[in-house]
Amino acid sequence: MKTLFTVFYRRNLALAKLAIITNLQYRFNFIIDAFIQPILTVGVEVLLWLAIFKTADASGLIGGFGKDSYLAYAVWAPFLGRIAISWMYETMMVEEIASGSINTILTRPLSFFEYYLSQTLGYKIITTVFSVTVPIAVSLYFNLPVLYERLPMAFLIVVYYLLLVHTMSFLVSTLGFFLTRIRAFTLLKNLSLLLLGGELVPIDLMPPPLAELLLSLPFSAGVYIPLAYITGRGGWDLMSRGFINTSYGLLIAGILSYLLWKRGVREYTGTGA
Amino acid sequence: MGCVMGCLMNRLKNNLIVLFTKIKKYLGLYQAFFKASLVADLEYRLNFVVLVVGEFIWYSTQLILFEVLYRHTKIIGDWNLDQMRVFIFLVLFVDSIYMILWDPSLAAFTDNVRKGTLDLLLTKPINSLFMLSSQRISVSHVPCFFITFVGLIWALNQLPQFDWFKLVWLLFLIPAGLSVIFCGRFALNATSIIFTRADFLQYIWYSVFRLGLRPDAIYSGFLRVILIFVVPFAMVASIPARILLEPTQLWMIAWALVLPFILFYLLKKYWAFCLKHYSSASS
Repeated sequence: MKTLFTVFYRRNLALAKLAIITNLQYRFNFIIDAFIQPILTVGVEVLLWLAIFKTADASGLIGGFGKDSYLAYAVWAPFLGRIAISWMYETMMVEEIASGSINTILTRPLSFFEYYLSQTLGYKIITTVFSVTVPIAVSLYFNLPVLYERLPMAFLIVVYYLLLVHTMSFLVSTLGFFLTRIRAFTLLKNLSLLLLGGELVPIDLMPPPLAELLLSLPFSAGVYIPLAYITGRGGWDLMSRGFINTSYGLLIAGILSYLLWKRGVREYTGTGA
Repeated sequence: MGCVMGCLMNRLKNNLIVLFTKIKKYLGLYQAFFKASLVADLEYRLNFVVLVVGEFIWYSTQLILFEVLYRHTKIIGDWNLDQMRVFIFLVLFVDSIYMILWDPSLAAFTDNVRKGTLDLLLTKPINSLFMLSSQRISVSHVPCFFITFVGLIWALNQLPQFDWFKLVWLLFLIPAGLSVIFCGRFALNATSIIFTRADFLQYIWYSVFRLGLRPDAIYSGFLRVILIFVVPFAMVASIPARILLEPTQLWMIAWALVLPFILFYLLKKYWAFCLKHYSSASS
């Protein structure tokens, strides 16, 4: 049992390292991905919130929270949103099945799901380690209301949510067994996550019935819930709700993926690519 | 005198004939590209439908953002909700035109550089800027084009005493905004020739383009001047919206008329510079 776990661990560690090395190979790309893109996004969002507060009413509060609270949200939201979304590896998974090059993975002693999960985690870890310096530095410099002691728990839920996102990516890619072109599904899935996750605007600013609906879906655990937790908009009850919602989302996506994968592999004919 | 005039007229006539022949040739090519793209997109119908739905979601997010924000404030920058709706529909309308005409080809640019397929496109007997930007057309954005246009007219209709003759200015302002997007995107893509693998330039573009998705009033001082004159994303929708919503400022119209010429001149120079650095990746 111990040997089996060691083999599993080493195998996945190697895959995570592979992703890290691949992404660090082109440093210019990496710098843009880890630093420049989040800085530009954060800059635009911060300016928008500053403009909103310039014309806010005398109380200086919107939805019960002040300017600094929204600036903290604007600084951290794009950063968490980038961790909790999967474009690159989902596109690769879809391509593997569509092109038939999945044959090379099917014949190896590891699963397609695990092969890409380890790589996704490796990629997310390396970009997060570098790019987290941006929101931390900005929050410290402007003295934004961020509860730093809550950061580990916030990262934990984001990683857990990433597992759900990867399972959804796996689910999308399994459609490739039945349909010839499925690239649009990746776009649809990721844009839906952007809308439902609270990255654009804090969910608590939305009309109450809509906000309640979004909070009962697992997608708010990617951005809104960890952000509400570290900025003090929500407490442990909200966080635990996020973990529970992500769990049922994971269960549903897991069952669907398993069924589609089993059926897909049975019907799949390798093209010898 | 009469002979000189005659010669000049003949020369002008010949030049016009050459120009019209060229325009006809490029329009013919464009028609062929459109047909090919339409057939390619409709070949996978479910994918196409999902793509259209996805685009609607993306455009809706921009609208929802401001609709939610205006639940909690009356004015953002200089505009109220009715005015902001004009801005948002205008920016989405301009964006849909850009997406239909150029985005698929420009999104494939860095792949063409990396895989070496750029060679094939550069050696075609037509303008390389045209070939590299117009080969694929996004048919899935056509519904968004019509919806955003209807949305724009609806938003303008909500304004009290809107002068509908001002819409004529859009004939100059929208091409100026499109030239900003086209030249910016093309120039950024051309940089990938120098760096070989620069996939993330696409992501820079999407981040920078966000500057244009927000009204210029949220930027103040030096940054606003930069966005109007240096990296002129304000021309995409902010300046056109100001001309529609506020008393006409002639310098804005003059700038909209001059800007495309400046941008295309600079783009041509930069493109020639990048091509000097191009070393084919194909075998």
